[in-house]
Formats: sequence, structure tokens, C-alpha cells
Amino acid sequence: MSERVVQIISQSFFQILIPGIKVTIPLTIISFALGLLIALFLALVQIANVPVLKQFALVYIWFFRGTPLLVQLFIVFFGLPSLGIVLDAFPAAVITFALNSGAYNAETLRSAILAVPKGQTEAAELVGLTYGQTMRRIILPQAFPIAFPPLFNSLIGMVKDTSLASSITVIELFTKAQQIAARTFEPFVLYLEAAAIYLIFCTVLTLLQKWLEKKMVYRTPDNQMVSAEAEGADAKEEK
Amino acid sequence: MLEVKNVYKSFGNNHVLKGIDFKVNKGEVVAVLGPSGSGKTTLLRCISFLERADSGTIDFDEFHYDMADISKKEIHTLRMEMGFVFQNFNLFANKTALANVMEGLVTARHVTKADAEKRAHEMLKKVGMEDRAGYFPAQLSGGQQQRVAIARAIASNPRVVLFDEPTSALDPELTGEVLTVMKNLAEEGTTMVVVTHEMKFAENVANRVVFMEGGNIVEENTAKEFFLHPQKERTRQFLQKTTGEV
Repeated sequence: MSERVVQIISQSFFQILIPGIKVTIPLTIISFALGLLIALFLALVQIANVPVLKQFALVYIWFFRGTPLLVQLFIVFFGLPSLGIVLDAFPAAVITFALNSGAYNAETLRSAILAVPKGQTEAAELVGLTYGQTMRRIILPQAFPIAFPPLFNSLIGMVKDTSLASSITVIELFTKAQQIAARTFEPFVLYLEAAAIYLIFCTVLTLLQKWLEKKMVYRTPDNQMVSAEAEGADAKEEK
Repeated sequence: MLEVKNVYKSFGNNHVLKGIDFKVNKGEVVAVLGPSGSGKTTLLRCISFLERADSGTIDFDEFHYDMADISKKEIHTLRMEMGFVFQNFNLFANKTALANVMEGLVTARHVTKADAEKRAHEMLKKVGMEDRAGYFPAQLSGGQQQRVAIARAIASNPRVVLFDEPTSALDPELTGEVLTVMKNLAEEGTTMVVVTHEMKFAENVANRVVFMEGGNIVEENTAKEFFLHPQKERTRQFLQKTTGEV
């Protein structure tokens, strides 16, 4: 490797990493959080069978799962201005990613809620809980650990999908790599570097997932508790 | 105190209840016996509105409703006065034994946390589960879970407690501990309806026995008479097969 290339790598690493931390990460976190709220809403109106809203959810999910994310980004950023709605690049990206992930995560949450045994709902109703109380206090707390791994999947997916925002002029990690590659004529090195940084982000998330799962008292649908802490408690008990 | 009349229920073409009249008096323990598929469980589920009867009426002390045409709010009112024990316990998996017992008190009846906790400890003590108050359902055996479920069902001091085959999911050793708890409740004067296959329990603890088959009540009598002098041929057959004696 020539000295020049080594120099480019060492100089560009932080130039790429900084927009990664300043843009890619906030873009992911804000979009994912908003998407989760949308997902919860879409899942709940389907499960509660709310007229009109349920049909809305189905159409929504159909649209956002059935069209490419890149096309959605273009519609929001380049298309909406012709309706008089002009958004800055970053908010346009946040809105699009949130809407898109909301559709996918709605299905994850819906399946997790349905995976909680029916008897839990019946028991809750019979001790006098309302539907809302049953959802909030009994069903959702049990659905969340079931939904957790696939939700994390979707979060990791979104970290990488944010690179699409470069196409609507958001200066994020990949945009920066593209700019430096154009200037230095070293696309191979620069894009490998960008890939490496995404890989670092996702590795951290993977470790975080493992750690959180261990912390979580994880209950599978058939009511078996698998938890490092619970097992520890049992072992203590036996002594 | 609790009476349902002319209850019909079918699932598609399967007519499960064909005009049941059923009644429990205050302080009484009624055992509902019968072969599988006779409609015992469905009757209990219709009384608690887990299933909606196609027609029928319910009289529960001061409440009188049409079972097929009853609002959610009215169902809620009735349920607040009932306890229900499931075959497979259905303890809230995300809550400890203590929290399971407290849930209906705190969330549905707005009892203060401190009072509910005190009451829940009393109830767990009553079913011999006080030392497991902090355990999650998955950390308890089936018999222990069912005892907690009974504590949960009686915590609000309901006017009637409905038991849906409470020991059918338990092995024989664990069955005993649950039946003992139920026997104690009966002796305290709790009004109970028990759908069961436990003949000895029905004979020794129940005041009255209702025998169902094919969606009808075939025979109904005091427990003593029912087992000593069954009136109907079908009842005699059933008892012969289940107890090996008549």
C-alpha cells in the first residue's frame, strides 16, 4: 500500500466517522423511535379491530412495504415540494425512515402481541381489567420481549439504510465517503472505510442487543422463563 | 343467588348447550360432572361471558340480564362479583405471585397498594403460597400456580367462584394440594361452581351435583343422593366407569 493511500485512510477516517456520529446515528435513533410509535399504533388498531383505522393500517403497510425506500425518499424530498410542502433534507429523511420502519415494525409488534397466549387476556378481563388496562399491563409487557430480537434486527437494518439519505443531499457518513472518494480518486479504499464504520456501528448494536437480552426477563409464549438472573436466583435458592 | 335459564350456545353447527337451566345458592358448592364435550366448560364460560351465549338469561343477585344482549359494561359489573379459576391457571406471566393477586384489586377496584398488598399476602397465606410471593409463574410448579390462581380469584371477595377443571392439567400428586385448598374454601362457606372430573371431591365436598351430557343436564341431585342413588341409567353408567363401583 502506497504512503499516499495510508495517508488518505488516516485523514479520511475521522472525516467520515464524524458525520456518522453526528448524522447517521441521530437519524437512525430518531427515525426508529418515531417508527416504533407508528408501528405500535398500526398494530393496536389492527388487533383491536378498530373500524376505518384498521383499514387505514392495512393500506399503509401495503404501501410502505410494497414500494422501495429510495423511491419513498424521493417522493418526500423531491416530490412534496410540488404540493407546496418543502422539507429540509434531514427532516425529510427522518419522516421517510420513520414511516417506512413503522410499516415493518407494525407487523413485528402485531405478531408478538398475538403470540401472547389468549388465556392471559381472558384472565385479565375476569379479574376486572378493561381492554386498555389488559393491553398495557399484561399483554404488551409480555409481547415486548418477544418482539425485541426482530425489532433490533430492524434497527440494525436502519443504520445501513440511512446511507440512502445521501441521495437526497443529507451529509451523512456515506455522503462524506463519496465526496472524499471523488476528490482523491480512491473509491475502493474510501468505500471500504465507510463499510468498516457501518460494521463498527452494527457490531456495537449487536453487543448491546445481547446484553439487553440477558438483562431482560425473557418469557417465551409458552410461558417458560429464560433469564440469566432467574436461573441465578434459583441456584441461590438451592444452596 | 346465581341462576341462568334456557342457555343455548352453538359453535357453527355444533350445538354445545341446549337449553340449560342452572342455579347456585349462596354458600353452596355445586360440582358439574360429565364426559368430555358435554358442555360443562362452555356453560362456565357462558356464565362468565368468556363466550357469548346465543340465548338465555342470567340472574345474579340484584342483576338480571339477557345473556345474548348484554353490554360490555354490564358484563364488567357481573365479573367484578365473580372469581374464575382456569384449567391451565393463566397467571399473568409478567407478574410475581403477589402482583398477580394484587392486580384485580389495584387496577380494577382501586384498592390502595398497601391495602391490596396486605390482602394479597393474606390470600397467599390461605393457599399456602406465602413463601413464594416474589416468584414468577414460570418458577412455580403447576399446583403452586393453581393455588396462586385461586388466591387471585378470591382476593376481591367475590360472591361466587367458578372453577373450570382446576386440576385437569396437574399430575395426581399436585392435584391433592389444590383440592385441599378448595375444600378449605368450601368449608369457609364460599359459593363455588366446580367443573371437575374429581369424583371424590364432588362426593365429599360438593353439596349438589349436576350431571351433563350432550349439552343437556341429565341429572341433578344432592351429592349424597347422586352418588348413592343415581336416578338415570346414563348416570349409573358414568359413575360405574369413572369410579369403578356403584
